[in-house]
Amino acid sequence: MLNRIGTIMAQAKDLNTHRLQNKERTIELAYISSLCDESKVSDFIIVPFMKEEEDFLTTLIHNPNFTELNDTAKWADTLLRGFVLISAEQRIFTLDAARIIRSETPQTQVETAIMGSQIALSEDLIDSINIIRTRYPSPELAVEETTLGNVSRTRTMLVYDNRRVDPTVLANVRESLRKLDVDFVQAAGQLERLISGRKRGLFPTMLITERPDRITGSLQAGKVVLLLQGSGFALIMPATFFEFMHAVDDEFDSFWMTRFLIILRYGAIILTILLPSLYVAVVSYNPELFRVQLAFSIAGSRSAVPYPSFIEVMIMLFMIESLIEASVRLPKYIGSTATTVGGLILGQAAQQAGLVSSIMIIVTSVVAISNFVVPVNNMSVAIRFLKYPLLVPAIFFGLSGVAVGIFVYLVYLADLRSFGKPYFRILGPTKRHTGDIGQVKPS
Amino acid sequence: MSRYFYYHIVLVALLNLMLFVPHILIQYRYHGAMTSMAISVVVGTGLCLMFMSIMSKYPGQGLPEILNRFLPRAVTLPFMVFMAVMWIIGPSIAVVSYAVLINRFINPDTSPILVLVLLCAVCLYAATRPTMTIIFLIEMGLVLNLPLIVFILFKAVRNDAINWDAIHTVANYWTQMPKWNAIGAASYIFTGYANLAVYNRAMPPNVRIRHRWTIPLIGMLVLALTFFVPIGFHGTESVDDYLYVWSMTADSMIMSYGFIERVIFVFLIMYLNLTLIYTASGWHQAIEFLKGLAKDYKPEIDGVPMKKAGMIIGAAIVAATVLYLYFFNEKITFRLSEYWLGFRLVVEIGTVGFLFVLVRKGKTRS
Amino acid sequence: MRGKGLLAVLLLAVLLLPLAGCGFKDIDKRFFIVALGIDAADEGKGFKVTLRLAVPSPKIEPGSALSEVKTIQAPTIAEAVRLAKSHVDKELDFGHCKVFVLGEKLVKKNYTDVMEWMSRRRDIQSVAYLSIGRPDAQSIVKIAPKTERYPGNALFLAFGVDGTESSYSISTYLFDFNRRYGEHGMDPVLPLIRKDPQEGDYFISRIALLDKSKMVMLLTPQESQLYNQIANRFGKSTIKATIEEENIVLAANSVSSSYKIMSDQDGNQKLRLKMKISGLFEEAPLGIYEKDWHKLEQTLSEQTEAQIKRMLVKIQKAGIDPFGFGLKYRATHAGNDQTWKTWQKIYPELEFDVKVNVHVEGTGLSR
Repeated sequence: MLNRIGTIMAQAKDLNTHRLQNKERTIELAYISSLCDESKVSDFIIVPFMKEEEDFLTTLIHNPNFTELNDTAKWADTLLRGFVLISAEQRIFTLDAARIIRSETPQTQVETAIMGSQIALSEDLIDSINIIRTRYPSPELAVEETTLGNVSRTRTMLVYDNRRVDPTVLANVRESLRKLDVDFVQAAGQLERLISGRKRGLFPTMLITERPDRITGSLQAGKVVLLLQGSGFALIMPATFFEFMHAVDDEFDSFWMTRFLIILRYGAIILTILLPSLYVAVVSYNPELFRVQLAFSIAGSRSAVPYPSFIEVMIMLFMIESLIEASVRLPKYIGSTATTVGGLILGQAAQQAGLVSSIMIIVTSVVAISNFVVPVNNMSVAIRFLKYPLLVPAIFFGLSGVAVGIFVYLVYLADLRSFGKPYFRILGPTKRHTGDIGQVKPS
Repeated sequence: MSRYFYYHIVLVALLNLMLFVPHILIQYRYHGAMTSMAISVVVGTGLCLMFMSIMSKYPGQGLPEILNRFLPRAVTLPFMVFMAVMWIIGPSIAVVSYAVLINRFINPDTSPILVLVLLCAVCLYAATRPTMTIIFLIEMGLVLNLPLIVFILFKAVRNDAINWDAIHTVANYWTQMPKWNAIGAASYIFTGYANLAVYNRAMPPNVRIRHRWTIPLIGMLVLALTFFVPIGFHGTESVDDYLYVWSMTADSMIMSYGFIERVIFVFLIMYLNLTLIYTASGWHQAIEFLKGLAKDYKPEIDGVPMKKAGMIIGAAIVAATVLYLYFFNEKITFRLSEYWLGFRLVVEIGTVGFLFVLVRKGKTRS
Repeated sequence: MRGKGLLAVLLLAVLLLPLAGCGFKDIDKRFFIVALGIDAADEGKGFKVTLRLAVPSPKIEPGSALSEVKTIQAPTIAEAVRLAKSHVDKELDFGHCKVFVLGEKLVKKNYTDVMEWMSRRRDIQSVAYLSIGRPDAQSIVKIAPKTERYPGNALFLAFGVDGTESSYSISTYLFDFNRRYGEHGMDPVLPLIRKDPQEGDYFISRIALLDKSKMVMLLTPQESQLYNQIANRFGKSTIKATIEEENIVLAANSVSSSYKIMSDQDGNQKLRLKMKISGLFEEAPLGIYEKDWHKLEQTLSEQTEAQIKRMLVKIQKAGIDPFGFGLKYRATHAGNDQTWKTWQKIYPELEFDVKVNVHVEGTGLSR
């Protein structure tokens, strides 16, 4: 039996198989350790078997905890549901030993969804695998274990669907994990920076998530998931830019509203990246861009401001970034106070004191608010930075500088690859298929 | 994957504005522009289809590899240098005239040289990326810009200010004999196919490019828009006064309910993007051609960052472009563009015909 | 490697820094010109240029618009604008200049210099409105209506489609004027702004017709409306007729017009103009409901036909072609240089055949 299970369950490191022997007979056990309560296994099987108080086969037949299973095709399913398979005298019995997840499993906090799963990945690797396994009961789910970090020896699980995964990506991931030479690995984000090709990249090329539903969705799409002991986050790779803009809710909320929300998110990131530099460009180079009314009201509200537009923008951006940073670092209970103090009082006062124009206050708040629309946190942080480099061409070249800056971002995005897959390709599947471009190795 | 072929066709067709094609055609509006356009549709489509069928026999290979397969290096080397030069001139004209355009319409107080340095630096960065990056860049650039450009064109055609009598009047001059320069300018619309010379390296085998019948349609549509819309806006006579005739046309439109009222700004930004993409793509091809001169050169289309040689070639192209603007003015640029367009047609007919013969002969021999 | 990259960025910054300031000018350091008037100089050659500058104010409400008016005389317009810079403390910006007013006297003499200047200057938008000011441009530009929310607003709205739509005025964009200026077979038209001495504001109710170098004639308000109906198919207009010494006014809902140039058997060229006007009575004696509408329609048609014909002949006599009949002729005849020459011979002898078809939709709310 054990051999057959070994072949069915592709490469599951957490599959436990034992062959036990007492005076009378030999039995074989198989269970997935991450799904099972090991104490149950020993209480119900190992201890009675070893004590030999009565014939173990009769226990198996008469004890209602054990049920006989004749259909070999169901082996994998039962194993994945947390059952132990026992083989004795050519008969197969099952025992329910599923481990019930502790009630204090963490709730989703970083990437929340209204109707999606409320449970987040656990910091404990086995718990996380349990959560994923229960949501993805397929014998094709492969779990590989490695350790990363010369000192930390952090346990790392590589999870993927054996049938759907792209072998080149898998090879790529294994290769980059193997090549990793670092002492300590502690967080998923750290690992992301270490194994992505660019050390100082502007965009994340791997999704970091705490949501099991996002993970199972990615597994189904043939992606590789990397779990880290001690981190409640998983890395999903390869990723495309567009996946960062999708919230899990998009799959189960009203169709039209979610499509609209996706468009809105793109609009929001365009605003958050462009507005500060556009403000500088329009105010200082091309005031004829907007309508007369707008031009006059900007000119009117700016008339009290004593310094050039880019200083004004920098002051306000500095203030809003400090505010965001402060509310992240502060304990939850004080966080809201900081926002109120900063947002309401400072903004109002700064404008009345003639330090900044009222239009600039609007610009800053729009920039901050639309930044939070991005559903995946690591992308949100990456995008937060993008507005600053754009200010430079805006100061020197105005509107055309901003357009050129955006073009550079486009080139950079098009140049990014996530484990060999194009990162910024809107049409066409990311999976390799015949007839796609770039298939033939040029001779 | 035929769409990756059509991206080149559409990009180059739309870019005709930056190479003064409308102005050249309008100069000949009473003297054979109509017939030249008709001839160029036939010639352009024919060249396009022939080149496509030749290249589809060699999937994953660019023009340099194909040439090396048939000819000794002594012949291919000068030919490749010549091709590279042809590929440098067009995009460089586009980017130079765009720098001047920015100086005219967006930043009147910044010197065009400075703007050109900025544009060239950006194009150099883009052109030295791997081939696949450029392909994705073209795709994204078109996906982002095309809807707005189509919107502007649609608004232009539906505009009340268009005088259809003027368009009709010019269309009446269809009996005039065609002129070479006008044919050269008009056939430029179709020249996107030539980009396959390098981008064929990314084309998969056994892929038939579908919907070939759209090529003459796209070409005719773009030609008609590019030629007639300015005439509708500026009349049969005044239209000749403007060198950047499409910018003036865009300036003649307003979006009464739009966030940005004047269409010209949207138009200029969209075309800035397209020009940069076109230049990057053109220079990339030139660099690939020149890199192919090295004996041990192995073309790579993805992943491998460009070697120093590519950067040096690119920097040389940038330097030449900037020096050009420093020494010459827009009048010479216009003349250069006119001659380049005519000469390009000769080169294209020659190259495609030569390749055709070469491939046929090579086949019978083996 | 890291140090090298940083160095490159620093070097770039040092190189770029001196460039800051070229072209960098904040919006509050600019004076926006909202209207520009050009007159002939009071004495001698040259121009008198009147600029209306907007003074930005944080408040935007009716009546709070502040603006300054500067008048400068110089031999050329370009010089006048340069001179104006020395009169003000901020940079002049043409970016939002939407209204150009040409003095009537100047236009009657010769407007080609002004044309040249306007079409060459790059910061003047092609969609700026052009008009003629009476008695002169200066006095029109100086008027600041009390209802203005921001400087120049009233003039912008008077021409644009956002505000009032008057059937007596047209709005001529600069590019349209330019096109007619160059076109063979179409001549420029401009609206005439008149100053109302009592009220201290202006009104636009007449259209001026120009040839390629100067103003030739003025249409009456009635004719201006007819022009609008024929050339622009302007709905929201009226037609008037007198029946049994009573005035009847029909408010048109839709106007359509088309014309054709054809030759009859004798080889005489004839222009056939067809118009269809349908609308409601706006002013008519009581009891009109009972009358035979068909007869009313006929009377309206006949009287309008006569009015149009009179106007067309008057324009023909003046030797100008604001409707673009000549272009129409070129568009429908063989494309060669001969066509245009033929038309120039035909036009003075062209006969007009006007057919107006009035359709009464109802009598308004009362019978």
